Amino acid sequence: MKVNDWDKLVSGVKAGDVRSLSRMITRVENRADGWKKAMQQLYSGTGRAKVVGITGSPGAGKSTLVNALASELSKRGKTVGIIAVDPSSPFSGGALLGDRLRMAEVAVNPDIFIRSMATRGALGGLCQGARDVARILDAFGKDIVLIETVGVGQDEIEVVKTADCVLVVCVPGQGDGIQALKAGIMEIADIYVVNKADRPGADEVVADIEGMLSIADQGKLDTAPVVKTSAATGEGVESLCNTLFERLVHARNKEQWLDKRVREEILSLVETQIMESLLCAWQESGALNKMVEAVLNKKADPYSLVDALLPDLSKEALNRQTAKATKTIIGPENS
Amino acid sequence: MKEDKKKDRLCPHEEQYLEKVAKAREQWEEKLIAPRLKRFNLEKPNTSFYTPLDRAGSNFLENVGFPGLYPFTAGNSPLEFWKVHARLAAEMGFRPDWGGTRGVGKYGGFGTAGDYRDYLIRMHSMGRKGGPNIAFDLATQCGLDSDSEQALGEVGRVGVAIDCFQDFATIYEPYTGELEIDKVPSNFTINAPCCVIIAMYAVLAKKRGISPAALRGTPQNDILKEFIARGTYIYPPGPSLRLFRDSLVFLREKMPLLNVNSMGGYHIREAGATREQDLAFSMANAAAYLEAGVEAGLDVNDFAALFTFNAFGGSMEMYHEIAFQRAARRVYARMLKEQFGTTNPKAMIIRQPITAHIGCSSTTLQRPLNNWIRAAVGGIAAGMTGAIPGVFPPFDEPLGLGHSIEATQMQFDATRILLYETGITDVLDPWAGSYFMETLTDEIEAGALAEMDKINQMGGTVAAIESGYMQKAIAKSAYEKQKRIEARQDFVVGVNCFTSELELEVSINRDVEPTYDPALMATAEERQVESLKKMKASRDNKAVASLLNTLKAHAKDKDKNLMPDICDCVENHCTLQEICDVMREVFGEFKQAKL
Amino acid sequence: MTDNAKIRVLIAKPGLDGHERGARVIAYGLRDAGFEVIYTGLRQTPAQIASAAVQEDVDVIGLSILSGAHLALTKQLKEQLAARKGEDILLIVGGIIPENDIDTLKQMGVAGVFTAGTPVSQVADFIRQNLQKAA
Repeated sequence: MKVNDWDKLVSGVKAGDVRSLSRMITRVENRADGWKKAMQQLYSGTGRAKVVGITGSPGAGKSTLVNALASELSKRGKTVGIIAVDPSSPFSGGALLGDRLRMAEVAVNPDIFIRSMATRGALGGLCQGARDVARILDAFGKDIVLIETVGVGQDEIEVVKTADCVLVVCVPGQGDGIQALKAGIMEIADIYVVNKADRPGADEVVADIEGMLSIADQGKLDTAPVVKTSAATGEGVESLCNTLFERLVHARNKEQWLDKRVREEILSLVETQIMESLLCAWQESGALNKMVEAVLNKKADPYSLVDALLPDLSKEALNRQTAKATKTIIGPENS
Repeated sequence: MKEDKKKDRLCPHEEQYLEKVAKAREQWEEKLIAPRLKRFNLEKPNTSFYTPLDRAGSNFLENVGFPGLYPFTAGNSPLEFWKVHARLAAEMGFRPDWGGTRGVGKYGGFGTAGDYRDYLIRMHSMGRKGGPNIAFDLATQCGLDSDSEQALGEVGRVGVAIDCFQDFATIYEPYTGELEIDKVPSNFTINAPCCVIIAMYAVLAKKRGISPAALRGTPQNDILKEFIARGTYIYPPGPSLRLFRDSLVFLREKMPLLNVNSMGGYHIREAGATREQDLAFSMANAAAYLEAGVEAGLDVNDFAALFTFNAFGGSMEMYHEIAFQRAARRVYARMLKEQFGTTNPKAMIIRQPITAHIGCSSTTLQRPLNNWIRAAVGGIAAGMTGAIPGVFPPFDEPLGLGHSIEATQMQFDATRILLYETGITDVLDPWAGSYFMETLTDEIEAGALAEMDKINQMGGTVAAIESGYMQKAIAKSAYEKQKRIEARQDFVVGVNCFTSELELEVSINRDVEPTYDPALMATAEERQVESLKKMKASRDNKAVASLLNTLKAHAKDKDKNLMPDICDCVENHCTLQEICDVMREVFGEFKQAKL
Repeated sequence: MTDNAKIRVLIAKPGLDGHERGARVIAYGLRDAGFEVIYTGLRQTPAQIASAAVQEDVDVIGLSILSGAHLALTKQLKEQLAARKGEDILLIVGGIIPENDIDTLKQMGVAGVFTAGTPVSQVADFIRQNLQKAA
């Protein structure tokens, strides 16, 4: 991709052009040459949108809830971006992205932009990819970005964890209620939503969650609230929206958490970059093949290869490099 | 356990005999099969042979029985009307597609009600006097008026556009005198807005001073399969079933000669279902309709006898389709008797005009004349299951919309050849007692029952539709089938084999009987919208609003039967969509599950 | 395209026709051919389809129509796409399409017309080739 193409896209996004927005998302998702540069250009215009993660077991009615929530937010004058994540096929690398099907009502709302995203399982993971897309939507001017994922894989959970507020959706009638949810998903919730609340057993699910919270959160002040909705009819969505706004103000926007989030992003980007650069170079030069062959032929072991092949990662070398970099980016200290 | 039961039933003499057969089979396998397997380098043969061993302990009276007797495996009747009158039909040159005063005419409909009326008048002048067998356009089937934004491009296309009572009445203008509506029956392929169309039919009778009780006909009132296969649904399945109940109660009370429903397994199969899924899903749907009637306090012995099926099956595998019909009859009869406590034999049979057939999805666009022989295979299967050996569809089915005169003639002639020249229908259930066919029948039945159990565990058909289970299951089956064809595991002649340039494309004339003037069709939407506008301007809009309000209030009370309100609305010129919209507000609209 | 790029396809059913078999089979088949397939289900208006195509930045739109309304619906979709700067998206149509209408559709800008029974692999190959041409 040519550099000036990126410039056009970036300025298009900033100017609120939908075609540029969707094209830029594709390019960034594909990690097309120059993507980081483009993200840098957008970055200063971001940080305004609130990102809301929505996860839960399959069949919990997440897409319908997202549809209803987006509709309610739009009624309240908010512009909304939706990122709907579905898994890629591990065999073909393709994906069937069907969440949009449940969002027909908001699909032509000019204030709402929906983007389906496959997990792809590419380097760098889904997490950074979704974060980038959310950021582009932010720069485009969306007030709220909803990220929907199935809470089954670690990747998907990581995605919503980076959000400003996380909704975990449960439904009655899925076996053992909250037991149906994968361990590791319950504790990331800022709000629990019991959807399909018109069905029998909804109150039991609420009681289960509250019971679990009373044990886990003893003494804590900001226990996550439990909200009942029936997204198909829209019941409870207004109250969910109110709760969401409250939590967006209070819940996660603590300095400590923001600090952690930025820290994680930097490390994740660095990790991806290192792996990508090494892989690219080693694959092109054939070095990786040679290494594998050497290990298979017992001429080398993987452990010694690590130290022998990596560039200079000694503390001194790294410190020198980072000192130089921080000086260019941040400026000299104590000035 | 099944084995034990089998042995219990065998008398010593039988046991000895079976031992002999078993020994003979062993020898046969050893001396004849084994060397050939070795020679051809096969693991096992790709043929099979059935013996009394496969049927050890089977009970003929319990599982097959006589034609016309429970469990109806061998057929619904020992002597069908068409069989008795076959000779007469040949002598008279009877055309079933033309209908008579006894039956409906050819399925059809297009354009505005006036366009379709004029077509029917033309047909009558040619001696084709069957009752209206109405195809509605997709807008009508989805509960939309012609002026709806969603109806754009669809008005009058695959059927006639009906927006209001006036349209409905227009179609019936030529039906007077010897064709008066208490003399000829009507068919309505309508499903989701069935209540509205039934109401129109009742109001039409009232306006003509005819008792609705004298009306005959069959509505396709099978909304559940729309969620699974055809897609013309409106409300979620729960409220849809409530409307079915309302129509059922109303029909039994006011229009007792009308059939209640025409259920389809055919559509489900065409959408990709396997044989077992087809049978299980249709039976689960039927059970839901039956339960709705029972819950409404009706006698299943009475109302179930007014259920019809429009066709089951649809594949080229002739043996399996014959077994399928036999299994279906048995499963349905047993369900009615054992689960619903029916005692009326008429309520236990699958009443359907067509039995086995190949289904449109078995036809190919490539070398279309080949479809003629394909359809004939379906006709043979039908003839062996106690039905008219109906050859269906015409060979040009996959070419586009509309069958040519040649194709239709060839279709009818093929049926006639089977019926009159082969003697295929002289024997009732010719496969009864066949070691192979009885085994295959049992297998298909077992597969379907297992699938039905699964659906019951999910909470029945409504739950299985809401979760998207049925839709996903048949989509996967359709995809598996496609993959098998593309991988050449299944062969389709002229499609994935024998396709070289040496093969000929046999062509044939494709004269299509002019059903409508294309110029008429081009303006149908515009004219229909215009007439709707006029109608809306001339009616008592205050009355319309007030009646719709009442309907809405009553819709909220699920114990209330909405048919009287819908009749009032229809009579006072509320439009189809206005009526449906009111119910949409109360019931919500169905949303598809993810694929 | 970079290594990470995937061909994105929107499979859409415009109009009121509810016969979904073909659309579903194509959706599964293209997924297994390595494409990212967005499936929007039944009863989509041309405006909804065009909007989805642009938001999802798909390379291809596949319309499935069996009701005979293909000419009217395709024309409307083309207009809706143009209004959203999406006229460059490759458009293919599948379903029951009478032979006489195939040329008319192509004149409207439809790149390929696939009638019933077309192998999914053939559709996938067509898409790959045509996208290469465009790139």
